[in-house]
Amino acid sequence: MLAGIDYFIVIAYIVGMLLLGLYFKKFVNTSEDYFLGGKSLPFWAIGMSIVVSDIGALDFVGVSGQAYRYGVSVGNFDWVGSVPAMLLAAFIFIPYFWRGGMYTIPEYLGRRYNKSVRTIASATWILFFALDLGVLFWASAVLLNVLMGWPIWISILSTAGVVGLYTYFGGITAVIMTDVVQMIIMFVGGFALVFLGLHAVGGWENMVEKIITMGPEYQSHFDIIQPSDTTSPFPWTGILFGLTFVMANAYMIGNQSIVQRCLTAKNEWHAKASMIFGSALKMFIPILVLFPGLMAVVVHPDLSDGDQALPMMIKSILPPGLVGLMFAAFFAGLMSSVDSLLNSTATLFTKDIYEPFIKKGASDKHYLKVGQITTLVLLIFGVATSPISSDFPGIYVAIQTFMSYFQGPLFAILLLGIFWKRTTQWGGLSALIIGIAFAVFLNVFKEHFFHIEDPFLYISWWSFLVGFIINVIVSLCTKKHEEKDLQGLVFNTKIVTENTSI
Amino acid sequence: MTEIELLNKIKTAKINRALGVFILIFGLIVLVAITFTETFVQQMTDLVAGMVLILIGGGMFWKSQMNLVQLSTKNKTL
Repeated sequence: MLAGIDYFIVIAYIVGMLLLGLYFKKFVNTSEDYFLGGKSLPFWAIGMSIVVSDIGALDFVGVSGQAYRYGVSVGNFDWVGSVPAMLLAAFIFIPYFWRGGMYTIPEYLGRRYNKSVRTIASATWILFFALDLGVLFWASAVLLNVLMGWPIWISILSTAGVVGLYTYFGGITAVIMTDVVQMIIMFVGGFALVFLGLHAVGGWENMVEKIITMGPEYQSHFDIIQPSDTTSPFPWTGILFGLTFVMANAYMIGNQSIVQRCLTAKNEWHAKASMIFGSALKMFIPILVLFPGLMAVVVHPDLSDGDQALPMMIKSILPPGLVGLMFAAFFAGLMSSVDSLLNSTATLFTKDIYEPFIKKGASDKHYLKVGQITTLVLLIFGVATSPISSDFPGIYVAIQTFMSYFQGPLFAILLLGIFWKRTTQWGGLSALIIGIAFAVFLNVFKEHFFHIEDPFLYISWWSFLVGFIINVIVSLCTKKHEEKDLQGLVFNTKIVTENTSI
Repeated sequence: MTEIELLNKIKTAKINRALGVFILIFGLIVLVAITFTETFVQQMTDLVAGMVLILIGGGMFWKSQMNLVQLSTKNKTL
């Protein structure tokens, strides 16, 4: 349980975040301010925001839990699973999205393929983000339950209240700028936990020796590359094909909540630099999220649920003051992930669904209001669906499972869309639909195709491959786009701004 | 510098100032927490964590305050 000073730190943090977020309300006058921060934000803030949204509560709790169960191989998600994809995004994709004046990734797909592709992609992301919200709220409940003994629903509702208020009023400026504070707090708190944790287990070498001698199941705990026949969810084949080639790129290039941040940059240089700066910060993440899980193997070897590794480490290792700091760091990660999803989903709904289908040509104030109301509705939906997460064995794996349904096909059409002029609207549409259906099929019958516990990496790879092949075949059989329709949308053609080509 | 650019810079400076104040206050609270710790290692960890936050927050506040003074002067002359 938290000591008095820790309660004070956590409450001061929550109240401070709320006030800070509400302060940004005065910078929101138009829908562009709400969804793109008025296109005025600097690279360092965006870079920090990208990292902190990605690391979030799921990484703190879920990846620590995976490190507890499977060892350091889960670190691949933040190294090969992020850095190369972020650099690719910075130099190839972001300039097209930024100069095109786009609000959403489906908006690009709509211009490149057709309205149906845009709508399906957008609806899929909205569905994923909405489900993701529930998982995030559940993650907070797990930690609060262990650390403070709070009932699940109290913790979910208090998180939803704070994040909902500042996201509703402040839009993406509040989201990004609170992320900056949250990243600083997370890094300071995380490094303090690692330092004291290492001190508690007698240093790195001592910890390695203890874990390896704990039994045969711990022999590969420090192998970052796992054999292809491993029973863990991270065989090297899955890491290489599923993570590095597909999921990492799909996440960093095709994920609305990540790319939308780059679109808030004050100019193209800042948009690119934000991704590069974010990739540099990303390299430190495994230290913050893996180490506590590994240390917990020594300090708490008999945990029934790996996801409790981090909460137990905080509870047993940290002194008064730092428990509050670390808890605030966790809460920071959670809030960051939630606010990102809320704002991105509101953007997707307003720009890709509401504006083209429900009310065209309304005033800017109207769309601003729609974005804010969508934020509120999502918040209620996330809270209501959060108990679903308890049916899955690991919180982080649950997210990957949801994502693997459509990350592969979505990335296939994005990749071909930008690099291959010949791909057509029917190629993109059929690839998206068949690819997602194939991913669902693989997931339903996974016992027949895969021998590992959770084959989400393989599912994303095979669904990507199917989407890619379908796109190529159907595109070759259908009428190609005219050159003028592809201007500014395909690599190596002129990049156009909103109104003029340059 | 156009008026829009100037207003954007003022907006950024105001945002940074608010962030700086928040981080600075949080750092001070962590320093106060030293009195609740027991061992030397714990005290030093709190001290370093608090000082890092104070330096970052203080730096942001000071820099943005300086910028705001300069930008406000320019804004008046425009």
